[in-house]
Amino acid sequence: MAHAYTPGLKVTEGAILRRRRVLPIAGEVLVEAGARVGARDVVAETFMPGDVTPVNLANLLALPPADVPACMLKQEGDWVEAGEILAQTKGFWGFFKSEATAKVSGRLEAVSSVTGQVMLRGNPLPVRVLAFIPGNIIEVIPGEGCVVETEAVFVQGIFGIGGEAFGPICMACSSPDQTLEAEAITPEMRGAVVVGGGRMTLAAIRAAKEVGVSALISGGIDDLDLQGFLGYDLGVAITGSERMGLTLVITEGFGDIAMAKRTFALLGKYAGREASVTGATQIRAGVMRPEIVIAMDPDVERSVPETARQDGLLEIDTTVRMIRDPYFGQIGKVHALPAEPTVLASGSKARVVEVVLETGETVTVPRANIELIEE
Amino acid sequence: MDLDKINVILATDCGSTTTKAILIEKVDGQFRQTYRGEAPTTVEEPFADVTIGVVNAVTEIGELAGRRLVDEQGRIIRPASDGEGCDIYISTSSAGGGLQMMVAGVIKQMTAESAKRAALGAGAIVMDVIAANDPRKPHQQIQRIRELRPDMILVSGGVDGGTTTHVVQIAELIAPAKPRPRFGNEYKMPVIYAGNRDARPLIEKTFDESVDLKIVDNLRPVLEQENLGPARDMIHDVFLEHVMAHAPGYDKLITWTDAPIMPTPGAVGNILQAIADRDGINAVGVDIGGATTDVFSVFNGTFNRTVSANLGMSYSISNVCAEATMERVLKWVHLPMEDRELRNRVKNKMIRPTTIPQSLEALVFEQAVAREALRLAYKQHKEFATTLKGVQQQRTVGDTFSQRMSGLTIVDNMAMDLLVASGGVLSHAPRMAQTVAMLMDAFEPEGVTYLAKDSIFMMPHLGVLAQVHPDAAMEVFERDCLIYLGTCVAAKGVSKPGKPCFKYRLHGSGLDEAGEIRFGELKLIPFGPGQEAELELEPARGFDLGAGSGKRVQSKARGGTVGIVLDGRGRPLVLPEDPAQCRTLMGDWVKVLGLYADSDQ
Amino acid sequence: MANMISRERLRRRLPALWYGTWLLRTVFVFVFIAAGAAVVAAPPPAPTGLTAKDHGWDKGTAVDLVWEYPGEAALDGGFFLISYAMDLEDDFRIAGQTLGYETVYTVNGLTPGVDYYFKVVAVNSALEESEAVVSEPVAGRLQWVDGSRIWFLITVMIFCGSVVYFIRHARKGRPLKVRKIAGLEAVDEAVGRATEMGRSVIFVPGIQDMNDIQTIAGINVLSRVAQIAAENSASLEVPTTRSLVMTTARETVQSAFLRAGRPEAYDENKINYITDEQFGYVAYLQGQMVREKPAACFYMGAFFAEALILAETGNSVGAIQVAGTAMPAQLPFFVASCDYTLIGEEFFAASAYLTGSPEELGSLKGQDVGKVLVAIGIVLGVVFATLASITGPEGLNLESYHFFQGFVDYLQGTVLH
Repeated sequence: MAHAYTPGLKVTEGAILRRRRVLPIAGEVLVEAGARVGARDVVAETFMPGDVTPVNLANLLALPPADVPACMLKQEGDWVEAGEILAQTKGFWGFFKSEATAKVSGRLEAVSSVTGQVMLRGNPLPVRVLAFIPGNIIEVIPGEGCVVETEAVFVQGIFGIGGEAFGPICMACSSPDQTLEAEAITPEMRGAVVVGGGRMTLAAIRAAKEVGVSALISGGIDDLDLQGFLGYDLGVAITGSERMGLTLVITEGFGDIAMAKRTFALLGKYAGREASVTGATQIRAGVMRPEIVIAMDPDVERSVPETARQDGLLEIDTTVRMIRDPYFGQIGKVHALPAEPTVLASGSKARVVEVVLETGETVTVPRANIELIEE
Repeated sequence: MDLDKINVILATDCGSTTTKAILIEKVDGQFRQTYRGEAPTTVEEPFADVTIGVVNAVTEIGELAGRRLVDEQGRIIRPASDGEGCDIYISTSSAGGGLQMMVAGVIKQMTAESAKRAALGAGAIVMDVIAANDPRKPHQQIQRIRELRPDMILVSGGVDGGTTTHVVQIAELIAPAKPRPRFGNEYKMPVIYAGNRDARPLIEKTFDESVDLKIVDNLRPVLEQENLGPARDMIHDVFLEHVMAHAPGYDKLITWTDAPIMPTPGAVGNILQAIADRDGINAVGVDIGGATTDVFSVFNGTFNRTVSANLGMSYSISNVCAEATMERVLKWVHLPMEDRELRNRVKNKMIRPTTIPQSLEALVFEQAVAREALRLAYKQHKEFATTLKGVQQQRTVGDTFSQRMSGLTIVDNMAMDLLVASGGVLSHAPRMAQTVAMLMDAFEPEGVTYLAKDSIFMMPHLGVLAQVHPDAAMEVFERDCLIYLGTCVAAKGVSKPGKPCFKYRLHGSGLDEAGEIRFGELKLIPFGPGQEAELELEPARGFDLGAGSGKRVQSKARGGTVGIVLDGRGRPLVLPEDPAQCRTLMGDWVKVLGLYADSDQ
Repeated sequence: MANMISRERLRRRLPALWYGTWLLRTVFVFVFIAAGAAVVAAPPPAPTGLTAKDHGWDKGTAVDLVWEYPGEAALDGGFFLISYAMDLEDDFRIAGQTLGYETVYTVNGLTPGVDYYFKVVAVNSALEESEAVVSEPVAGRLQWVDGSRIWFLITVMIFCGSVVYFIRHARKGRPLKVRKIAGLEAVDEAVGRATEMGRSVIFVPGIQDMNDIQTIAGINVLSRVAQIAAENSASLEVPTTRSLVMTTARETVQSAFLRAGRPEAYDENKINYITDEQFGYVAYLQGQMVREKPAACFYMGAFFAEALILAETGNSVGAIQVAGTAMPAQLPFFVASCDYTLIGEEFFAASAYLTGSPEELGSLKGQDVGKVLVAIGIVLGVVFATLASITGPEGLNLESYHFFQGFVDYLQGTVLH
C-alpha cells in the first residue's frame, strides 16, 4: 500500500457537507443556529466602508494647506451632497470669495492641514453571503458567518470559471463521451445547470450563454475554446471572480476527454433536482476546486452511505486515471507497485505504478501522474 | 555562543508543501552536510501546527543518522551530547505563501523603488507599489489597498529634509483604506515608516490606532544613497512578531530556534551575498518554482533580488506560455510538436501541478518552457537591478555625445562569474547537461562563467546559518551545497555562421587541448569535478570574451559534472525565424551537448 | 557658368564629337609646335554648319547654337564671337564668346516667340576675324517645365515623399526608431528628484522672444516638464524675460496640467515675467536659485552670456540640470555644467520625440532622409573635387581630370543650381 501523490477528486452520492460561509470582513449574521436555510438565502451581511474620494481644497481654493480647516463650511462627520459647497475662502472684506464644491456625495471624513486634502467617503457597500447549499445552520460564528450542513450528492470538478450559480440539473448529452455541441442547448435550459458529456465546444458555451443557462458542466474543454470564451489566455488557475454570466465546470481536464462514468451517472440520476454550483478554482496552497452540490431532502430520502474505503491509498486493483500525457485521460487498474524507482522515457527516475488499461495493455507510469477515481 | 564548540547543526526550511531538514556535522574538523529528511508541512488544517512537520522531518533525519534529535515531549534536544541532540537549530519559512508586502514611496522610480528593493531583499513578495506619481487616481489606489491583504506595509518617501507633503499624502491614502492583514482578524496591520525624518510626527498623526506603526531610519536619506539595512531588519522583526506569531505553531517554533526565523528567499539572498563578498565575485542565483521564479544577483557588492510572481513551472506554466508566446517556447524544441495539443497539455499541467513528464517529448517541452520562464524572469531582474535614479551627474566636455543616464542596469553578463541554479526543473533534470543548456540559453552568460546548481536546495538553511556561524555555512556551501556543472565560455558578438569566433587553449589537470570555435558552433569538453585548467582565449575581431573586442583573455576553467562548454553561438543569442530551420539547429545543439537519450543514437 | 553647362550638355549628346575634338586639338597642338612658332598668321577660316535650335525645358529665352569649325588649330588662343539680331539688316548684338575649341553656345536673354538670326565669327589670337556664318531665323519657345530645375524637383520629391511615407508608416503603427535622447529621458528623473527633495523645478525658456525658433522648441519641452511636474505634484516655476513667452508658457503649462488630470494644481503665479534686461533677469534667477535651491533646472531656448552663470549656479546648489540650445558658443558650457544637454538638432527633435505622434515622427524621419541626401552630395562632391585637383588641370591624366571636374561642375552648376 502506498499513498497516491494526487488524491482523486471527490464524487460521492452521500456526503455530509459542511460549508463555512463567512464574510470577508466583520458583519452581521442573519441566521440562528439550528435554522433551515435555502441555497439562495442570505446568511450574513455587512457593509464595506464606502469608496473614498480625496479632494484637494488647497489647490482648488489656491490656499496654503494650513488655512484649509478654517475655510471649511462642512465639518468632519457631515454628510455632503454632490454639488454642495465644501469650503469658502474669506476673501477681501467679503468680496472675491472662492468656493469649492463637492464632485461626489459622501461623508466628510478628514481634513488635512498638511496637504490641504479632505476625504469624502461614499455610501457603505453591502456585502452579502448566501447559504450556497440548502441545509441546517449548525454553528454561528459571531460577526463572521455560519456553518451550513447538509446531506448531499457532491461532485468536485477539476477546473471552473465563474462564481456561484444555482439551477435544476438538466442532461444535454446521452453518454459521458459525447461532445457537447451547440445543438444540444435548447431554450428550455434557461436557468438550469446543464450537464454535457465529453468536451464542450465554444459554440455550445456561446449558445448556453445566449439561452441563459446558469451553469455548464462537462468533461473537458479545449484551451483555445476557453480562450475564445474568456477573451484572454488564462495565465494562473485562480478563478471564480469572472463575470461571464455563466459558470463553467470541467470535471476531467483540458482536451477531448470524456466525463468519468460515475460522475455522469450520478448527475444523470439526479436530473431535474436543484443544484448549487461554483466555478471558483484556486490551485495553490489551500487548493479550491469547483463543486456541484445536490442537497437531499432530509424528510424524504436517505443518503447512500459513503463507501468505507480510506482516501488516497493506492492498492493493487485500484482504479486509477492517468492525468498526464502520453496516456492522458485513460483509465485502468493498478497491476503492480514496484518499490524501486524506475527510469522513465524522459530519463528521470521516479517511483512508478504498473497499470492495466481498459484496452488490456499494461503501461508503466510515474505515481505522480495518476489519480484515484471511484468507478 | 562559542563557535568552536559547535559540532552539530540542525536546520529546517518550512516550505509551503514540504518541510526540509538537514543535519550538518563536524567531520574530521570540517563541517559537512550529512543527512537530510523531509515531511509534509503542517501549517494548514487539520494539523495547523508547523512544528509537527518540523518534528517529523527532524525525526526522519534522526533515524537516518542514528542520532536522537527529538525528546519525548517532541522538542529538539539541545545542546548536543554524545549521540544526542544538536548545538544549533535554525529555520526559515515560506509557508502560507511567504511574506507578502505592499510598499509605498513618493516617486515610483526613486524612493518607492528603494522601498521595493528593501522588501524584496528581506525576502518578501511585493504585491503592489503605491506612489505619488502613480497614474492611477487616488480613489483607485485606495481601492487597490483595500483589496490586497498584505502582511505588512512599508512606507517611505522623501529624502531627509525633503518633501513632507507627498509622504503625508501617501499616508492619507493608506490610512482611510484601513487595510486588513492576511492572518488574524484581531491584530493590527503593521506599517513600517522609513521615509523623510521630518515627516515622522505628521505620519504618526495621520495613522490612527488601527495600525501598528513602526518608525525606522530613512531608507533613502539622500537620493545618492540607499540605506536599506534598518528597514530590512524591521521587516524581519515584524515578520517574526506579527506574521509568524499569527501563523499556526510558529509561536512555538520561534522559541526553539537559535537565530530568528527568516523568510526563505531572504536567506537564499544572504548566502549568495556572503559567498560573493568572500570571494569578490559577481554571482547570479535563480530559484525556479512552481508558481514563482526568484532571481538574486550580486554585482560589485550590490545585492538585488526580484520575484517574478507568475513565472513558474506548474501553477504558472500557462502564464509563461502566454507571456512568452507558444511560438517562442517551441523555438527551443527540436522535436515536432502540435500546437493545439500542447496548449491543452500546458493547461492540464496547470490544473494538476504535481505531475511529472513521463515521455521524452514532455520533458523536452517542459525544459523549453523553463528556458522562457528563466529568460523572462532574468529580463525583469535586469530592469529592476539598476543604479539609483535621481542622482546628479558629473560631466566633462568629453561627454558631449555620450551622455550616460543613471538608472541603467548593473547586471552585466560579461562580469558574471558564477551562476547558481536551483528549483525542480533545473536541479532535478535527468541529465546535468540539460541544466547547463537551460542556463546558457536563458541567461546567455558571456565570457567565462562557472555554472553550478544547488544540490538539494540547501541555500536557505545556509543563509540563516551564515548569520550564526559563517564559517560553517561557507564550508558546507562549497563542499556539499553547490554541485559544479562546469564552465561556460561564450563570446559576445554576432557574425555569419562558419566565420571564426574564438581560439582556445586549455591545459592543466591532464587536459591539453587547443582549437578554434567558429560562429554558430557549440563544443563540449568533458572535464571532471574538482579539476582546474588554464584557459587561454583569443577572440576573433568583433568578438569579446571579457577584455574587449578581439583582445586575448587568460582565465581558469573549472571542471564539473558536465565539463567545459565552448559557445560560439554569439551573444545576443539569435534564433532563426523559420521554425523548421530552428528545429534543425536545436537538434544540432542537443547532439553536441548530449542532452537527451535519443540524440546519442 | 553657362558655357560649362553647355559643354557638358554637348558632351552628353555628342560624346564622340567631344572626345574627338579633344583628340584632334591635341594633335593639332603638337603639329603646331612642331611647325615652329614663327608661322605667320592669316585670317582664320569661317565656321560652318551653324544650326540654331530652341533651348528645351525653359521659359523661351534661350537658343542653342552648334557649329563646326574646320581650322581649329589655327584658332588656338582665339575664340568664337556669337551675336544675334532680329533682322539681318539690324546691328548684331554680341551675345558672348566661346573658347576656340568650343563649338556650342546657348544664347540667353531673348524674347520668347520672336525670330532671331545668329552669327558666329572665329577670331584668332591676333584678333583677326573670319567671315561670319549666319543661321536661319529661330525663335525661343516657352515650355511648361524649366529643365534646369529638374534636380530641385527630384530633391523636393524625395524629401517630401519620404516625409509622407514615414508618416504613413508611423500611422500604421509600425515603430519608427528614434535614438534615445538622454536629456529628455532625464526629465522624469530631474522632476522626480525635485519632488523627493521637496524643492521646486525651475524652467528657463531662454532670453529670446517667441519669434525665435529655439524658444518655441523650449516651450515644447516645457509642456513635457509641466506634465511630469503635475503628475508628481511638484512645484514648477517658469521665470521669463518676455511677456509673450510668459503668456505662451502659462497656456502650455495649464494644458499640460489638464492632460495630467490635475487642472486644479495649476498655479499661474508661478509663471512670471521678470524683465527684458538680460542681466537683470540673470540676477533674479541667480538669487532665486541660491535662496530656494531648486532640485531641477531646465534651460531650454536661446542663451548668450548668461548660460554659464545660470548653469554654474544651478550646479552649485546641487540641482539636476538639463539644457537644450542651438547656440554653438554656449553648448560647451552647458555640457560641462549640466547633467544632460540637448545639442542643436536633438533640441528641435524634442517635440517629435516627446509626443511620439506619427506626423512629427514621420517628418523627423523624412528630414533625416534629406540630411542623408545632403551628406551623400557633400561626400561625392568632396571626393570628386579632390580627385580633380589631383589629376589636373596640368596633371598627368587630363581625361580623368575632365571627367572629375565635369562631375563637380555638374553638381555645382546643375544639381545645386
